[in-house]
Amino acid sequence: MSAPIHRAHLPGGENATLEDLRNLSQRLLEALTRMVRLWYERLFGPTARDLLGRSLLLLFSITTSLVIVGIFILLWAESLPALSSLGLGIFGPVWDPNRNLFGIAVFITGTLWVSSFAILLAVPLGIGGALFLSEYCPERIRLPLRMILELMAAIPSIVYGLWALKTLVPALRNTFQPLVSYYSGFGVLAGAIILAVMLLPTVVAVSEDAMRMVPDTLREASYALGASRTETARRVVLSTALPGIGAAVLLSLGRAIGETMAVLMVTGNSLVFPVSIFDQTYVMTSVLANQLGYALADPLYRSALFSVALALLLVSVTFTTLGRMAIRWGMRRKGLRR
Amino acid sequence: MGNAEEGVETMKTGNALRKGRSWLRLPKSRREFLDRAAYVSLGFVAVLLTLPFFAIILDVIVKGLPGLTPTLIWESIRNLGREGGIRNAIVGSVELVVIASGVALPISIGAAVYTTEYSRQGRLHQIVEFTADVLAGVPSIVFGAFGYVFFVWLLRAFTGGATLLSGALTLSLMMIPTVLRTSQESLRAVPITLREASLALGATKWSTTWRVTIRACFPAIVTGILLAVARIAGETAPLIWTTGYNSDTPWSIFDAVASLPFTIFTFAMHPDPVVNAKAYAASIVLILIVLSVDVVANWVSRRVGILVRKG
Repeated sequence: MSAPIHRAHLPGGENATLEDLRNLSQRLLEALTRMVRLWYERLFGPTARDLLGRSLLLLFSITTSLVIVGIFILLWAESLPALSSLGLGIFGPVWDPNRNLFGIAVFITGTLWVSSFAILLAVPLGIGGALFLSEYCPERIRLPLRMILELMAAIPSIVYGLWALKTLVPALRNTFQPLVSYYSGFGVLAGAIILAVMLLPTVVAVSEDAMRMVPDTLREASYALGASRTETARRVVLSTALPGIGAAVLLSLGRAIGETMAVLMVTGNSLVFPVSIFDQTYVMTSVLANQLGYALADPLYRSALFSVALALLLVSVTFTTLGRMAIRWGMRRKGLRR
Repeated sequence: MGNAEEGVETMKTGNALRKGRSWLRLPKSRREFLDRAAYVSLGFVAVLLTLPFFAIILDVIVKGLPGLTPTLIWESIRNLGREGGIRNAIVGSVELVVIASGVALPISIGAAVYTTEYSRQGRLHQIVEFTADVLAGVPSIVFGAFGYVFFVWLLRAFTGGATLLSGALTLSLMMIPTVLRTSQESLRAVPITLREASLALGATKWSTTWRVTIRACFPAIVTGILLAVARIAGETAPLIWTTGYNSDTPWSIFDAVASLPFTIFTFAMHPDPVVNAKAYAASIVLILIVLSVDVVANWVSRRVGILVRKG
């Protein structure tokens, strides 16, 4: 739509020469190059790269947050059919997919039994070990002990499971069968022991960290009042580090409920409500690991399994988050913030 | 006898205990006796805690070493584990971990950079940290269930069902919280003066971040990555329903794949004792992989400590 260029419009007016025209075109070309360069800078230059990179990183941050949201939403959507059609019946006592009975109480009970006995074993031992490491132990012994505990945390749970299945279970059977004739070695006790072994590194590490955060001035004050090392450890260090120890218990509880493979291999996986530690049991993680792949075709069955997964997620996330909050709260309360 | 004198006595006892003397001497008071009893019993507990480690490692080595032959490592599985080796599982595990890292590392390191370098201490910052903490507490079997319904079922047109890609994506979700939080902490440890110097020279935030800040804390970030890798390399539960089964190494990411931990599981549950013995041999391989990654991570982080102390 541009108007045709008349000689009158050009610099130099009516008297413009070819020279002027050439000048003009050169200037136009320069202006164009400048504009292109400017836009190139704007789109691809350092500032633009900064902005582009910044928005990419923002996208990544949002993605990481969306993962947990996605997991929640998907598990909720998947378990909705079972929750809406069964209602509170989902907590019924009988699990029999062949008869369309989907009560998950038996798995919840199993998880409660195994996890609580594991915690009962792991927490006192772990706190004792942490107390020794932080209060009594010479540095020369402390470092190797801590390294071994770190390595214990690194061993995959399938290896713990293998050991428990092939060594622990027969050993338990040989020990207790004379007392309890029906005992097969599989059951709550084996699950609790192997789970406790797997939890110990966490309990020790978290509670030892809490104990070492206790300022030395408190210990010195206690010694100055004539207390012995044990009295100081018990009355001063333990009580000051109490939030950290609570955090250790909560974190390990969260892990105990979510642990799958080792427990799956040694609890016997039979659908009964245990009444003693020698009984077999079936925990929530095991039923997911065992049956998930077969449930795809049956919507209600699949949905019931996903409500187990949702319950696992909620409980385990609650304990872990509470544990982390306890750590942070404990640090702030003592003014020991890192 | 006043309390003060008793205190002095306790202090002396404490020092003597530390030097390893005076154990032969009988305790002088009830308090000293209790002190020593606590020392001995807690020490006993601490040693007791490490016993399972030696029991398990020794058990696995003794039962697995005879089966750890070149055949086991170089041949793929045949006849449901009665013949052949575990090459498909070793290769599969490595591929799973590599692809999972390839997906998870850019996302989680990027998120760590954004939250520490770009965003202020605000809402987004808190949300990212909180969701990462929550994600870290999710049980591995729940990741498996999510991966099964999301990657294997809902996205089957894209992932091809139970494949290498589905398994790796499931594992990558598990890596995010570890890498994110460790990277954040190491980025925060970089002194602000380094960044200021770079910005004062006219560098943009972007080049300051990648050429100065990240380089300064690179070993610490590597430590976090290695710890996350060691963790997911040993995971079984997320892979049970997401990777499918393959008796050979996969040709593409849309093929089913075998993994070392799940192979150990099937070998362990097998009724044939010959196959059980292979589970131990495969466990040695898995432990070697995981612990060597872990030891390297430890070594790297110790190097970082030295560098920091040197200033």
